[in-house]
Amino acid sequence: MKDLAHIYELEKLLQDTYNEAARSAKESGRYAIGSVCAMIPEPLLNLDGCFSVRLRAPGTGSLEMGTYYMTSIMCECARAILERALEGGYGYLDCIFAPDACAQMNRCVENIDKLKLCDNGRFFVTYADVPMKSDETALRHYVRQMKQYVLEPLHERLGIDTSDAALAEAVKRQNRLNRLIMEIGAYRREEKPRITGYEFAVLCLSTFVCPKEYMIPILEETLDELRGREPDAASPYRARVVMAGSEIDDPDFIRLTEEAGAFVAADCYCLGSYPERTPIPFDEKEDALTQICRHYMEQGQCPRFMNTEKIRQRHQYVDALAKEYRADGIIYQQIKFCDYWGYERAYASEVMRGEYGYPVLSIDRPYTAGNAGQLRTRVQAFVESIEIKRLGKKGS
Amino acid sequence: MRYFGGCDAGSTYTKCVILDENGKIAAGVTLKSRIDPVLSAQAALDEAVTQVSDLKDAGELAYLVGTGYGRNKVPFADENISEISCHAMGVHTADPTVKAVIDIGGQDVKGISIDSDGTVLDFAMNDKCAAGTGRFFETMANAFEMPLSEFSKLSLKAKNVIPITAQCTVFAESEVISLVGEGKPMEEIAAGIEMSVAKRCFVMAKKAGAVDCVALTGGCAKNDGLKDAIEKVLKIKVIELDIDPQLMGALGAAEFARRKGMSA
Repeated sequence: MKDLAHIYELEKLLQDTYNEAARSAKESGRYAIGSVCAMIPEPLLNLDGCFSVRLRAPGTGSLEMGTYYMTSIMCECARAILERALEGGYGYLDCIFAPDACAQMNRCVENIDKLKLCDNGRFFVTYADVPMKSDETALRHYVRQMKQYVLEPLHERLGIDTSDAALAEAVKRQNRLNRLIMEIGAYRREEKPRITGYEFAVLCLSTFVCPKEYMIPILEETLDELRGREPDAASPYRARVVMAGSEIDDPDFIRLTEEAGAFVAADCYCLGSYPERTPIPFDEKEDALTQICRHYMEQGQCPRFMNTEKIRQRHQYVDALAKEYRADGIIYQQIKFCDYWGYERAYASEVMRGEYGYPVLSIDRPYTAGNAGQLRTRVQAFVESIEIKRLGKKGS
Repeated sequence: MRYFGGCDAGSTYTKCVILDENGKIAAGVTLKSRIDPVLSAQAALDEAVTQVSDLKDAGELAYLVGTGYGRNKVPFADENISEISCHAMGVHTADPTVKAVIDIGGQDVKGISIDSDGTVLDFAMNDKCAAGTGRFFETMANAFEMPLSEFSKLSLKAKNVIPITAQCTVFAESEVISLVGEGKPMEEIAAGIEMSVAKRCFVMAKKAGAVDCVALTGGCAKNDGLKDAIEKVLKIKVIELDIDPQLMGALGAAEFARRKGMSA
């Protein structure tokens, strides 16, 4: 297929922690807000006058400095982000809002704060408690926490308008972006898809690290382009998979998977499209913050939610995605030493294999995965096993 | 008669097998890998072709499958298949009764369970670290200042096992040098080294569902001390294959090539 018009530009943006779009927004006087978890709802961080940037560490090499502060048994993602901050990659941030969701990421943020790695005289950090269950009590707590540790600091320290009207405007913008991503992602359902999983991952990830206003016109143009895009006559893929698991902030992992023959037809991981890019239901009947928080709490697929109902919902969710996107198998991946996914990956892999009957590849991987030959071999062997079984079924 | 090839471009050795239409092995070659997998594969194919009088060069193979880490680089290959699938197929071709394989290659260890048709049921694989692989043994044999073949038999003479605590190749080498310096018996240190790798294989074998017996493949399958240690650790029988276990990946690739070529 012909390259998408914006793909090169976005790939280039993703190579930098202070990308051109963020730089331009910052230079126009807006505040740059660091985000480390989906549980701090994006619309709260993208009110007029500010924009959010999800922290990541593209092109990570050695993790020596990060490991010195965090030890070698901590999550490589958290260490890599600290390493990048130590290298000066996040000096432009005005604040970071961290939820008490992942203790390892919070140690990373604490180090960024204590070591004054973003010391521009204004920088601050807050930590909010976020729910582990999904019910009305948890929702009330969640709303209070977001008010106290996100909206109030934004208003009091940075002068941001956090009124209901401002929140409604931010939700409107977010939903425009979310709908575009969902429409683009829907093309992956096609038998001969006109967009690759890699291209979609680049588009999707860009929406987490660039201001929304910058991304919306790009997505609109890309959607238009896709409407007329001709898929390759012969598909290079031998199987379709759902990619699930811990956060993927490096599209090269998706590229590696597709180069090994598995088309990433659907995704269910942090920084992907499901559930993070599903539009937020919003009306005038309830206050804006409660509606936003309800959406993030109910839609959240993070294994931090530990009540039985949510655990089952996660399996049902992946099953539904696999059916909708006609996946032949599921890849559960996690970054090494991820506390939550270490458990969830093992359990969900067994459930999806045993109870739902899907072929499952279950892998833990280094933070930077692009060139790992062994990962490529695992994915290829998984594809081959799916393919051979499929041929066997046809034959019998 | 048509011929079908499998070329396993591994990190330390490159292997090539040629099968005839009946599945009989017409050629088998093992060469030390060079830095460029294209050159290694070309050399192995050229040598294998000399063993088949009907063939002049690798281009005359009816179908060729590349496997191993350099599988994308095998000249003339019609396709590439992962070494996991190829080792399963190779062992199935050599002995269809075997249901579990531990493949210890130059830079990785894999546990593979095999379905009744020779395809992969499940597998487990180590990550980037080379601990417990062929590289590990090479380093240890160097530390002992002896050839790998001699080192692999050394532990069989040991009355005791001196445990090696480090899994990392670099740390294990320094631990071994310290033990030698302390005057500990070489064969008992060697037994500790074999045991540490056998324990790593235990994890792979369990993940791959080995129950009553297992076959070893890859270059390390020729290590008698390791075979002995694996039987002790796993408490299951290690099956002796009639065909060189180091050729299993290439054999599986050639068998895939034969099936595809014959059905075309």
